[in-house]
Amino acid sequence: MTLRTSRRAALLGGLAAPFVSRLAAAQTGPIRLGTLTPQTGAGGPYGPAMVKVAQALVGEINAAGGVAGRRIELVSEDDETNPDAGVRAARKLIDVEKVSAIIGTWASAVTTAVAPLCWENKVMLFTVSGADSITKLPHQGYIIRTQPNTYLQSATAAKYLASTGAKTVFALSAQTPFAVDSYNRLSDVLAQGGAKAVGDVIYDASKTSFRSEIDQALKTKPDALFLNSYTPDLAVILRELFRAGYEGRKFTFGYAANAKLLDTVGAEVAEGLISFSPSPDLDSPAFAKVRAILGAEPDPYSCQVHDHISLAALAIGKAGAGTGTAIHDNLRAIGDAAGTKITSAVEGLKLLAAGKAVNFEGASGPCKFTPAGDIEGCRFRFDVAEKGKYRLLSLI
Amino acid sequence: MENYLLAMAVFAGCTALMALGLNVIFGLAGMINLGLVGFFAIGAYASALLTVKLHLPLVLAWPAAIFAAAACGVAVALITARLRGDYLAIVTLGFSEVIRLVASNEIWLTNGTDGISAIPAPGRGVLSPLLFNLQFVVIVWIAVGVAALLIARLSAAPFGRVLRAIREDDVIASVAGKRVLRFKLQAFAIGAGLMGLAGALYAHFNAYIAPDSFQPLVTIYVVLALTAGGTGTMRGAVLGAVLVVALTEGTRFLGGVVPGLAPVQIAALREAIIGVVLILVLTYRPGGIIPETSRTHRLETS
Repeated sequence: MTLRTSRRAALLGGLAAPFVSRLAAAQTGPIRLGTLTPQTGAGGPYGPAMVKVAQALVGEINAAGGVAGRRIELVSEDDETNPDAGVRAARKLIDVEKVSAIIGTWASAVTTAVAPLCWENKVMLFTVSGADSITKLPHQGYIIRTQPNTYLQSATAAKYLASTGAKTVFALSAQTPFAVDSYNRLSDVLAQGGAKAVGDVIYDASKTSFRSEIDQALKTKPDALFLNSYTPDLAVILRELFRAGYEGRKFTFGYAANAKLLDTVGAEVAEGLISFSPSPDLDSPAFAKVRAILGAEPDPYSCQVHDHISLAALAIGKAGAGTGTAIHDNLRAIGDAAGTKITSAVEGLKLLAAGKAVNFEGASGPCKFTPAGDIEGCRFRFDVAEKGKYRLLSLI
Repeated sequence: MENYLLAMAVFAGCTALMALGLNVIFGLAGMINLGLVGFFAIGAYASALLTVKLHLPLVLAWPAAIFAAAACGVAVALITARLRGDYLAIVTLGFSEVIRLVASNEIWLTNGTDGISAIPAPGRGVLSPLLFNLQFVVIVWIAVGVAALLIARLSAAPFGRVLRAIREDDVIASVAGKRVLRFKLQAFAIGAGLMGLAGALYAHFNAYIAPDSFQPLVTIYVVLALTAGGTGTMRGAVLGAVLVVALTEGTRFLGGVVPGLAPVQIAALREAIIGVVLILVLTYRPGGIIPETSRTHRLETS
């Protein structure tokens, strides 16, 4: 009888052994992070550089001894710039690879589709998507976004316009999901700066003439026009403004005011057009590192992925544990204003190991987040079109 | 791992339902329909909107999704009644793109490109992810089983015989006194209804839909599933769907098998492998893995 019991015990022990060792491995084995970037589809031009930066950075952290005595293992998946494929890839990352964080989702639809899986499984999601709706999801703090949303961008535009002395601003906006939100925020911030938004026309971007919209705008004699447009409609609007003899300020987004615009409308029509766009922190050593990794001028998304990996690694270092919850709980503690300012994860991990407080500022900017997970502020660059070229006006 | 496999089984089931639907329209009645993602989208949006905005229970929303998709199927079939072959293919492809554009632009109804999130499903957040997925696997595969059985019966019945006659030559069918248009409408309605059901199940399992989820690529995968599995047979449609999902998902694990490749190369290799396997299947098994047996041939030998 006794023999039997001990046999049974041995059997149970034997069965349990793999689980015990797996449990132990979960605390000493590598910490896994996943990238979910577009390698194919509309985002295909951005994904490969994002992964390259992530891999280089993880390599650097591991070479310096890893995080909390453990290595980081990076698993990269392709979201195909498609929410359906993105969900399948995310399920693999979460259920099979057991990652603690998913990094770099690019298209807003992919991020929105993947987000519920992340918060249900307590996996941290770092994204570069811009849609305002993302951080309004009930994500319990499991989403962090380094891309400024429409709200922040509109506020920045309004502050700038007010600072140039414009008293009245009229907005012409292409029909997009964010056109109305964008104008409301513009209007609020202008009012704080002593200026006024005097009207908004939302137009169908596929039209070939905007005469009536422009008449409506110019009737109010605005000091500045806020052109919330894309390149093709902006070209038409600029030509018609030129013809109408409008001499006030023209202000638009950087993605609309590109080289193609200048080619289309010519130097004279574009003269004086001011554009703005979120900018990486061009003077930061972290930005220089991303440039060195890529061997080319980095795009904003690669810079943000640099910061995602660094934030995840530092939060794990601070917590001493590699779970998604650990990253979630410690993410804001590594942006401690009283701590030593750092721009690299390796440097920060050493300080954290020595029990010191750190204040991380990355390649994309200061990396401070609101409770909803949005970035509080980032750098913006302002360019002006002069004689058929863009000239950097200022970087704030 | 189990969670992942179960989730993939749900996606395979949805693909199988769509392949069965296509089997009625294309496999039996011979109408080339490249707009099936449109019906999938209508089912998904109908069920999602009814449950999210009107708080209808699923038992009402799912039949409503089937009905909405079937009604659209009838409308499309009426519009395209005189079109055949390539022309029908182009128009149906256009139809699915129209659906996607409407979903992107009618923001008041569909929330535009932001999509609809938090679509309810029984037990979400209450059951463990494993049980939740398991529950959906059971629901979806019961639907696949019932649909396959019913269509197999339909196919063996005089109704199926008429559809096959229309597929071979609709002039002869009409000379034989069959009302070809009515049969075509019925086939379209049944097929589109199944695609709508697939869409509804998908929407509630995924909890989120957006216009981007309904790209033409979905259509292409389903057409591949049916042609690789065996056009005209139910087992072929289901097997093809499982094969396509296994291929597209299985190739994700390449990264672990082939070392030294950058993720972008793995992504490209995945697409290449999926393409090559399907070309091989269709080269060596042109009728699909389970080809349709010729019924006339059977008559001659007996």
